[in-house]
Amino acid sequence: MWKLLKTNLIIEKSSKKNIFAFIFVALFIIGLAFYMENEDVGNLVALKTSEHQNITSALSQFQVMDASKDGDSNELYKNLNEQQRLISLQRVAAKLDKPDLFANSAIELANLREDAFTLEGYEEVAVYLPTYTVNKLESIFYETLKTLDIPIFKDNLSFYQFLIFLFGILGSIWFIFLAFYTCGIMIEDFRHTSLIKGYPIPFDQYVAAKGISTMSIILIFIVELFLCSLLLIYYRGLGDPTYPVAVFDGNYEIYSIAQYIGICLLYMISIAVFVILLSIILNVLLKNMYLTLFVELLLFALPTLFPRMISLFPYNPFNYMNFTNLLNGVSLDLAHPVALNSTYGLISIGLSIVVLIVVANLFLSTGKLKRV
Amino acid sequence: MKAYFKFELSQFIKSKKNIAIYVLLLFLACFYALNIAPSYKPIEKVDAKEIEARYLSREAFLSNFTNENRFTGMAGYGLAIYPKWNWLDKSRLDALNDNKLKQYSKFTSEWYIYSNNITYGSEHFFYSPGYYTHGNLYASEDGYYGYLYSASRYQGYAEGKSKLSINVFEERTALQTLQRLLHSYLPMILMICCVFLTVDVVLKDRLNPSLLKGFPISDWKKLIIKGAVSLIGSIGVIVPLSVGLLLIGIRYGFGDFQLPVPIYSYSGEPSYFNKGEFINITMGSYLLENFILLIFCFMFLISLVLLVSMIIKNEFANLLVAAIFIFNEIFYFKRGIGFFYEVENYPTNYVQVGQILSGYRNYIYNSSALNLGNGLTALGMGTGVLLLLIFLISKYKRYKLV
Repeated sequence: MWKLLKTNLIIEKSSKKNIFAFIFVALFIIGLAFYMENEDVGNLVALKTSEHQNITSALSQFQVMDASKDGDSNELYKNLNEQQRLISLQRVAAKLDKPDLFANSAIELANLREDAFTLEGYEEVAVYLPTYTVNKLESIFYETLKTLDIPIFKDNLSFYQFLIFLFGILGSIWFIFLAFYTCGIMIEDFRHTSLIKGYPIPFDQYVAAKGISTMSIILIFIVELFLCSLLLIYYRGLGDPTYPVAVFDGNYEIYSIAQYIGICLLYMISIAVFVILLSIILNVLLKNMYLTLFVELLLFALPTLFPRMISLFPYNPFNYMNFTNLLNGVSLDLAHPVALNSTYGLISIGLSIVVLIVVANLFLSTGKLKRV
Repeated sequence: MKAYFKFELSQFIKSKKNIAIYVLLLFLACFYALNIAPSYKPIEKVDAKEIEARYLSREAFLSNFTNENRFTGMAGYGLAIYPKWNWLDKSRLDALNDNKLKQYSKFTSEWYIYSNNITYGSEHFFYSPGYYTHGNLYASEDGYYGYLYSASRYQGYAEGKSKLSINVFEERTALQTLQRLLHSYLPMILMICCVFLTVDVVLKDRLNPSLLKGFPISDWKKLIIKGAVSLIGSIGVIVPLSVGLLLIGIRYGFGDFQLPVPIYSYSGEPSYFNKGEFINITMGSYLLENFILLIFCFMFLISLVLLVSMIIKNEFANLLVAAIFIFNEIFYFKRGIGFFYEVENYPTNYVQVGQILSGYRNYIYNSSALNLGNGLTALGMGTGVLLLLIFLISKYKRYKLV
């Protein structure tokens, strides 16, 4: 098996597909950095200006009334007026670079918003305001900033800040990228059967060698992600790896950037193993690279197309493939909310991997493939 | 050559991958028609209640403040602008209640123009709340476009001969849904399908080289035929999509080809102060223009994929290069840069065909040059250059097809 693995790696090394995939990953990262620069992602003043616009149009749903503390208007109206005042304050704080003021009013704002969810008539204005989960995550984020006394970070293109954004995007497309990359994993060998026949080893070992060599290339992709982002240290500085990130992993929690990247990497690696095994099995069953790809993409898209499925089958591993949405608690804001736990997600994917290995073993040793 | 064409076409149709693409598209079209289209919530909806609420509170204000000359400041401003505004709202409301849809269109068109004049750049008035969703940084710009677009559209309804209904007003009929989709992500889906249909058209021959020895045709001609087959196949994606349209049509009506489609265009050079205006064209000519531009995009993509297939001989590379063409725009797109750069020269700028032809891209790029003519020139010249390269390369033995 080791000899075969060595041969496989030599083939992978000179494969055009890999070279192009490497170019693609590099282009993706550089493009993303340019995109962030162009769109001014994370500009607090612009963000607060648009929030101010939103709240003003929420207020325009009401007749103008006395919004002072003992005025005769309803609670929601008073609440929204107070929110508007705080957002204006934040905009000033962002412009004048006063992080303390910004964080304090952010906490106050989040508390107000939390109160607003229970008030009468909230559904009418819900579209202008962040969802419950988003608000909750923001609230604990600013509270942590305040207790740890960390200034609000302004440069979103420094190395560690960029990594959060990068992994946030990767969460949504990692599965798709892997599906594209691995969809033809066995097809090449079906075409050149002499390669398989040249090695007197059982077929399952052959498949294992193939899987391991593909996995090692994927690991190199992950390393490449970091290597390409390193360029930003030169241009924008290192950033702060202990800066907090608010996530939902079953509870509302604060992770440091390093922790966040850690859990993303765990997910990426387990998804990679899962996709490789799935591709191998589908390749054997369908004997066509594109059909494999389409089936995988369809499986990935099903929970998005039919959100009811997520709450009916919370342990379906495909619910956890988009780990950005998972860590942002998106499933909490669905019509049928369900709390997806990131640890259970890893367990679910892990169990599915075991099942896939068993299935692969059964399939590949029953001689179905030996005819190839 | 005819025999080879038939041979390629039958291979194309029988390919498992291609059948899967058509089936997948059929699934998506039906899913859209049954699941997404019914839940569409237009921002500019027809809502008598909303008009009535606005009308009544303003009417109350006007009846309390009768003497116009005695009030200054905000009250005076209100007294100056509300009478006409309210008259328009009242006329709309009456027309809607009497089911006089032509009348409604006429007054609604005027209402949108009047409202936009007062709302744009104002601190006291806002566009329809739908534009101000959480996180939209350009809500008032979108509102400006949306209001004048609606004004022009309703003017078209009032002057045109099409059969009107609430579904037409809310752009729910089949043809209008198609128009809306062409304005959003449909062109990208069509181009991705085109790439998937073309991706292996050259490379599949390398698996069974002996089969092709029987055709005494030069590589160049073979490539042209392969390109033609892919183009026919790509146009064929219309078939599964039309099933979805049929489903929408049964439910909401089909609309007709005379319906107005507002096009945003400039009379002079665009600048901060010189905004464009909307001109109506018919649905038929809008869809025809879309079709033409889409075919040029297909031809560009197909020649690109053919060229890459010859040089690199790897399907993954084909996908990558084509994906770069389709998604390249997001890397340099920024609101308003059309004023500084000549974006109309890049073929990659014409992927969103619906937005190009309706002038929306001109609006957000602040340019006046993104139009059908320039698009055809850029894509056509690009295709010509690619075909020339293919022709030259096909003469080299090193790049032989099989």
